[in-house]
Formats: sequence, C-alpha cells, structure tokens
Amino acid sequence: MDRPPLIAMAEGFDIDHLAKLARLNLTAEEKALYSSQLNQILGHFQTLAKADLPETIDLARVVSESALRSDEPGPVLGAEAVTRIAPASRDGQISVPRVVDDEA
Amino acid sequence: MADALHTLSAAELGRRLSAGLLTSRTLCEALIARYHLVNKKVGAFTHLDEADVLAQAEASDARRKAGEGRGPLEGIPVAIKDNIAVKGQPLTCSSKMLASLVSPYDAHVTERLRAAGAILYGRLNMDEFAMGSSTENSAIQKTFNPWDLACIPGGSSGGSAAALAAGLVPLALGSDTGGSIRQPASHCGVVGLKPTYGLISRFGLVAFASSLDQIGPMARCIEDCELLLRALASADARDMTCFGPSDRAFTPAGDAKKLRIGIPKGFLGKGVGAEVATAVTAAIEFYRSQGCAISEVELPSADLAVPTYYVVATAEASSNLGRYDGVRYGHRSASAGTPVEMMTNSRSEGFGAEVKRRILLGTFVLSAGYADAYYMRALRARSKIRAEYLAALATVDVLLTPTVPTPAFKVGEKASDPLQLYLEDIFTIPANLAGLPAISVPCGKSGHLPVGFHLVGAPLSEAKLLAAGRLFEAAHGFAHQQAAL
Amino acid sequence: MSSSPSDWEVVIGLEVHVQLHTRAKVFASSPWGFGKEPNEQVDPVVLGLPGTLPVVNREAVEKSILFGLVVGSSVPEQCAWDRKNYFYPDNPKNYQLTQKDFPVVVGGQVEIELPGASRNVMGEHKFIRIHHAHLEEDVGKLSHAGSGSLVDYNRAGVPLLEIVTEPDLRSSAEAEAFLRSLVALLTQAGVADCDMEKGQLRCDCNVSIRRRGAEKLGTRTETKNLNSISSVRDTVIYETARQIRELEAGRSITQETRGWNAELSRGYVLRDKEDAHDYRYFPDPDIPTLRISRETVARLQKLVPENLYDRQRRYVEKFGLPFTAASVLVANRELAEWFEAAAAAHPANPQGIANLVTNDLLRDLAASGGAGAAPADEVLPGVSLASCPIKPAQLAGLVKLTDDGVISKQQAKEVFAEMFKTGQEAVTIVDAKGLRQNSDTGELEKIVQEVIADPAVAKSIAEYRAGNEKAINALKGPIMKRTQGKANPVLIDQLLRKFLG
Repeated sequence: MDRPPLIAMAEGFDIDHLAKLARLNLTAEEKALYSSQLNQILGHFQTLAKADLPETIDLARVVSESALRSDEPGPVLGAEAVTRIAPASRDGQISVPRVVDDEA
Repeated sequence: MADALHTLSAAELGRRLSAGLLTSRTLCEALIARYHLVNKKVGAFTHLDEADVLAQAEASDARRKAGEGRGPLEGIPVAIKDNIAVKGQPLTCSSKMLASLVSPYDAHVTERLRAAGAILYGRLNMDEFAMGSSTENSAIQKTFNPWDLACIPGGSSGGSAAALAAGLVPLALGSDTGGSIRQPASHCGVVGLKPTYGLISRFGLVAFASSLDQIGPMARCIEDCELLLRALASADARDMTCFGPSDRAFTPAGDAKKLRIGIPKGFLGKGVGAEVATAVTAAIEFYRSQGCAISEVELPSADLAVPTYYVVATAEASSNLGRYDGVRYGHRSASAGTPVEMMTNSRSEGFGAEVKRRILLGTFVLSAGYADAYYMRALRARSKIRAEYLAALATVDVLLTPTVPTPAFKVGEKASDPLQLYLEDIFTIPANLAGLPAISVPCGKSGHLPVGFHLVGAPLSEAKLLAAGRLFEAAHGFAHQQAAL
Repeated sequence: MSSSPSDWEVVIGLEVHVQLHTRAKVFASSPWGFGKEPNEQVDPVVLGLPGTLPVVNREAVEKSILFGLVVGSSVPEQCAWDRKNYFYPDNPKNYQLTQKDFPVVVGGQVEIELPGASRNVMGEHKFIRIHHAHLEEDVGKLSHAGSGSLVDYNRAGVPLLEIVTEPDLRSSAEAEAFLRSLVALLTQAGVADCDMEKGQLRCDCNVSIRRRGAEKLGTRTETKNLNSISSVRDTVIYETARQIRELEAGRSITQETRGWNAELSRGYVLRDKEDAHDYRYFPDPDIPTLRISRETVARLQKLVPENLYDRQRRYVEKFGLPFTAASVLVANRELAEWFEAAAAAHPANPQGIANLVTNDLLRDLAASGGAGAAPADEVLPGVSLASCPIKPAQLAGLVKLTDDGVISKQQAKEVFAEMFKTGQEAVTIVDAKGLRQNSDTGELEKIVQEVIADPAVAKSIAEYRAGNEKAINALKGPIMKRTQGKANPVLIDQLLRKFLG
C-alpha cells in the first residue's frame, strides 16, 4: 500500500514547508487560497490512489552510446555576454548577496 | 491585391512569391500594417521588431533574385510563441521573471526556419511559462479571441491561435504540453498539430514539463500546417529525446477514405456541450460517408489521464522552474537580504499565481514521503494509459474526439476555478502522456465560436492525421477562415 | 597510525569526487580547464539558460566505465541520471544532474598498502570495497568579496566521478593509503589527473566510533570538501579523538555535517540548511536511460593497465627487485614501463637497471625540471619521461657494459651523467673518454706485483696479513695511479688477495 494514503493529504500538505522548499513567499491570503485550491485538486486525484496499476514503469526510452556526444569542446558565451545578461556582476563574476554557510 | 494578402495561405503566398507576383517585403509591409490595426484589439503579439522583419524580408527577396531561394517557406513570415528562443529577441514566456531576457542563442526550430528562408516574425503572447488554457495567465497582456473579443482564445498558445485567426500572420509556432496548441487552435478555428514526442527538437523551447512538451505548427489549413511541420522536424544532437530523421512521419498515408477511425467509448458524454457534440458528430458522419470504418474503442484508464498529467507535469515543472532565481538572468528582486531571501523574493515577485500553484503542487508530489504515493504512481498510470492507447491504435488508425468539451469561455469566467480548467484538458492530455501525434481541425461553430475535432494517431503517423484533416477540409469551408476584424 | 585506545574502533567511509580527464564538460560542450578568466568556460547549457538541454559526454562515460573495470567491478547493462533539486547560487539549474538509482559503476575494490615497519619493508595489504561510483556534474565556484559573494561558473558542469567506499577503513593510515592507491589507479589508467592543488580531487569523510567487537555502526559525522590527503588524515585523527571524548563523557554523537579548517587543524559544524536534504530526486526526463554495450566494455577492458601492486609483486618475485625499488617504480606507470623496456633490453640484471633508474635517473630528471608529468606525481614531480634525454635501451646498454666489466661501477656513474647531458650511447661516451677499464690480467698482474714489492706499502701488507681487511685499500691507490685509474677494481682486488695470500 502507498503511504501516506491520499485521503490524508490534507494533513500531509504543509504549504509553509512547500513554499520554503520552492523558495516562494506567500501572503496569508495566498496561503489560504492555494491551500484550498490545491487540496481540492488533490482530492480529485483520488482516482489515482484507487486505481489498479501495473508494477513496472515502461516509459523510459533507452538509447545506445551513439546518442552520446563526442568530447569536442564547443563555443562559449564569453564572460562579457554572461555578465551582460546577469542582474549584477563584478570583474567578470556574477555577484550575489554574501553567502554565509560554506557547504559546497 | 495588397489588402487581401493577409487572407492567403502560406502555400499560396509561396506560389506567388516564386512566380514573382509578390515580394516578401510587400507581404511583410501589408502584415505590419494589419498588425497596427488589429493587434491592439486582439493582443496576439507582445513584440514585433518591424525593422528586423523588413531587413529579413529584403534579404529573402535578394536571395530569391539571385536564384538562391531556399524552398516553399522562403520569405514567408512565421510568428513565434514567446517561449521559443530567437537570438536577439525577447524570451519572456509572458512572465515578469523573464521580462528583461533577450535570448543569446537560437532554438533548433529557429535555425531550421532561418535555413528555410522563413521570416521570423514577432513574439506571441502565451500563458506564463505555458501554464494555463486561456492565456489569461500572461503577465504582459491579455489576448482575446478574434471571433468574440469578450472571450479567451484558449491557451497556452493563445497568441499563436489568435494571430492566425485575426489574419495577422499565415504561420505560427506553438508549444503543447497538455493541449496548448490544439485547444487554442480549436477555440480560434485554426489547425494545430502536436507531433510525436521526440520528432521536433526541444532545444530552445523553454521547458515546462520535459517529458510532455513539444513544439508544433499552427496554421489556417492543413497544407500550411504540413509545410511548417516538414521544416521543423529534424534530428538534433542537442536534444537527447529527439530521435533521428523523420521520414517515417511523412510516409504517404494512402487513401484517407480507408482510414479506420476509433471513437473512445463515452467520450461524447464527458461534459461536452450540445453544439460541440453536434459538430463533432457531424464530422464522424462525414468520415463514415466517405467510406471510413468507424468503431468504438475502449480506453478504460481515461479517467486517470488528468490526475496523472497534473502530477507528472507539475513535478517536472517545479524542477524546471527552479533555475529562475534572479542570480544569472531574469528578474532579481531589489530588496536586500541573504541569498535565500534574494532568490525567494525574486521568484515571488517574478511568478504569477498559476505558476506558483503548479510549483507548489509539483514540489509536493516529489517531496519526501509523498513521492511514492504521487509521482511514482503517476508514472505507473502513465505507462498504463500509453499501453491502452497503443493497443487501441493497433486496431484503428486514428482516435476521434472533440478537442475541447465546450467552446471558448468569457474572459474572467473561470479565473477562480483552476480545477475546472484542468478538467477541460481531458481530450488533449492523453496524447502528451503517451507521446502520440495529435491534431485539431476546425469543424463547425457553437453559436459564433469555433469548434474543432481532435485526432490522435500512433507514433509517427503525422501523415495519416494530415491526410484525414485534408479529406475533411476539402469538403468543408473551414480552411483559411478568419474572423472579421 | 591509529590513535584510538584499544576498546574503541573507528570506522571510516570516503566519498571521493574526482574531476575526469575530458576536454569538454559532462552535459555541455563547453571546454573546461584550470586557469581561465572567470565565466569564460560557460555556454547556454552550463548557465542553465531557458530552453537548454543536457547531452551526455561519451568520454566522461567511458572514463567512468574504465574506472569500474580498473577496480574490478562488473559494468551494468544500463545506467541513468537523476535530478537532485536544491537551491544554491553555484548550482546553475538549481538541480544537479547525478545518478541515484542506476550508477555507471557498481561494486569493485581497491587494494591498499600500509606503511611497513621500516622504509625498506613492505607494509600490510588490504582490500577496500567500492560501493559504487556515479557520474555527475560539478558546480560553480563561490568566493567572498566584502559584503557580497561572487560566482564563477567555469567549474559548473565539469565531469565528476563520485567514488563511494564501503565503511571498510579503520584508521587514518588506511584512509591515506586508500587515497594514494586510488590516485595511482586513476592517473595510471588516464581516467583523471587528480591534481589536488587545482581542486580536481575532493573528499567527504564519514567517521563513526563503536566499541571494538560491536556489529552495529555508531552515529557518523560527515566532514565535507577535504582537498588534500593530509587533511583527510588529520580529519580522521581529529574526529576520532573528538567522538571518543564525547562518548567517554557520556554524551552521544550528533549526526552532522562538518567542515575542516586546515590552518587551525580543527573541525567545525557547518550551519544546518533549513530544508535539509529533501532533494526530491526523480529521473531526469531530458536524458534517456543509457544502454552500455558489451563491445564498449570489451574495448575499454583492453585499456586497463596492470594493477600497480600486481606489478610490484611481479618486480619483487620475477625481477628480484628489493621492495623500495619496486615501490618507487610502480608508483608511476610511465616510469615502470620505461624500466621494463630497459630490462627487456638487458634481461640479465634488472636489479642493476632498477638501481640506476630509481637513484640516478630520478635524481637527474628532478634536477633538470621541465614540464608535463601528472601533477599528483610525487615520484616525477613536474617532469615527464617523454622529455627524458636517455632512452631505455641506452640505460640497459650502460648496465651491460658494467656487467661485462668494460667499465667499473664508479665509471658508470660518470658515463651516466654524460649520457643524461648529451643523449649519447654509453659505448660512444666510454670510447670518447677512453674509459674502458683495463682488465688485462697479464698486465695487471705485473703491476700488482710491482706495487706489492714497493717498500712504501710494506706496512699495509703486514697489517692486512695480520687481519685488517681495510689495509688492502692502501695498495689500490698506487695501482690505479699506474693504470691511469683504468684498472678493473674487481680484478685488482682479486689479484691482490691472490698474491698477498
């Protein structure tokens, strides 16, 4: 059986957590509106929960090594083009607010 | 003849250009003049670089004069949905997030059009990031249905369909993830084709749902649609999901009157409006009268299609749209703060409501503890749906249904009910899930609003779809139709 | 050297990120390499511009498969790529393409050699199992500047092979030995250059402690982004001590991610990420599953070089080399092959050849400098054998001359130095300098007897006959003088002993 059951998705659907994961700020109204709309949509997805489905997923296209690219270096944009598109840059690098944690 | 140019098909324009009866420059000037008259009413185009268009037209005329014309699309304007990259042109996807982005590279299809000598003609409005079925989700402007300016044109390729129906351009590119070419084509009374998944390269198509998205041709008649399809379909090593040469798709279909047509059981009952049912039933009867074998087919998992689609599509979209964070390009929030705050604010300011909704849903169905129950189940359901369609298409050549249950609704009418809108994709979604080619062909009216019927075929059966469409078109008056504007 | 008291056991697993030796990036065709100006190795795919798509680099896949063959794993029939979704400024798409469920290498093992009791004694050998290795893309580089940070995407998209061991390591010495062995395997097979100064090899180190004899593993910590072998070693030592201290004080170990401050020689906790680790993995829809043909595997199998420890064993057993010489030779594949070519040209004395190679040749190569060798190479730092002035057969020729008694060992050193300078054949130099030593027994006998008869050395003779072995050397000088230094010293020694009785 799948867990957790779709019936319980109202509890599973934590809009604050999802907004954080997705890097979105939501106003209180947006939270209320989207929660209710998305829960309604998820409710409709009950058919998916109840359906009798095959175990295997037979969708993946499989390719041979001929689909791989040869190791030939191709053209680059150039630092000028990169920094021109970027919202903020300095000395050829893209600038962002100070990153504090050093996990890379 | 100048005032009639906008009513001509691309094929006919091509013939006149070849015969020296017309120059591309004259043609483009006429269309630009009409653009100035009509686009403000319809809102199809978000951008048109007139100087650039005329320069392309002159270059085309010069090529033709030098005997270097490149084929049937030489000098013909093709309008491009604003999620397909054209170097030096905006690539906004009708979103605030990308309002400032000018593409530094060409999509594969853009390169193909250039190689064919076509004129790259403007940027077309769409639902933001292709998410929507009414083009109301555009952050730039509204687009209106040329047949009734109080109504939506459909979406997400609403600008493409409206431009055709308003006589603003003879050919347009759209993109289709769950029906975004076919549904607006139906609503605007034009032809729209979604090819077999992998036939046309997605390199340069801004991704919404990678395993579902396809670029496709839109036009006012089958002949034009085929012209554009042939130019676009080709191998591209830059897209691993695009398979090799496409000759198979154009293998002659044989006699269209011998096509076997399958009608999915119960489809006409699924919330289909009375006049839509009448028009589509008439189309079925037409084929029957031509000698086509009509039979009923079973598609038991039909009810799973919409939930399956919305789980898979939003999951992929939530990941595809992760790159929009204000760091490397696009909108960056002016508010200061940490990098996390900067990204969050940029995204929140840059995305509209529908996009946020889908990102949240997609994030949910992939999240820890829920991915098995939602995403993995959806993939299994997708397998099943595909298998059923392939089995059905082993017994018939095409499946026929309405394209949309009801005609174009009024602007604002369904804005507060996203689920309702999702449910209307019921006829178009399966072709995306199964990777099958599908076409919408105009077949009548519901009141004054166009109605289209929908054909799905087996992989690489584009020729059969086009042949069936041609057979219908030849006996009816819907080809080349334009709204009076 | 293990630092844990006898009732605690440390368990270590390593995740080694290696930049593969390719010209283009793994999912984009942009070139990559050290030393370019920022953002000069970026194309639309690398930058994650809207509408761009990944295409897998064949060379990166083949180098990964080759690694799998080098460590003796069986190559899977298929492999596939997944998306690891997380937001970070150095991550252009805010997802990283990696392999979660179907990696390109599964299983395998790496033989390691621990330090022996002394320099000349081979240490214990052990096998460390590889859990898997997967092919993924590197991320850009963040640097900090005043109140902000800067991002350079040159490194984004570089092919990374992440090699994950089983938790088989039991000490800092083993961790160090593993990394050295791994680097040798990677460089000798041409899979990666492993230049740690250029950040081409980075290591995450998982450490846990348990009571000796316990079956269950303790809670582990992960120290990330170690970019030198010494920092891995030091991290293990530090973390082992820290965890033991904690446990002995009655506290428990928190599972956490840590960093290592090499300057201060201590570890620290990395700030927890708010949405820790919900990466929402799913199969990348842009890259189809890849079928790996058995023909490709067979072709790559031929490129697998001899394992360095197999080679070392062979040198000791078949060539009779001492451990130190064998160890030095096998550390560098080029050098080993050079040696074998020389030994093939003069099979009678591989030890003599090895001696010249490991002492004189290496010394002179290092002194002469020159560019080109694998940077991770401590044996041939910054030097390539390709630019060596002496050819293997030439060195063999020199040794043969010595073995045949044409020149003495002493003279051979002089000839070698000249060979290195000029690239000439040994024989040519010997003749040009007139160095052929005098092995004319008849003539030498005469000279020896003359010298013996000289009263100046009578005292030394007496001392020698009385039992002082070294006294005989006093007679050798005059003999050498009378032969202009060309008397065969071995023969002289024999003759002296014969006549002195």
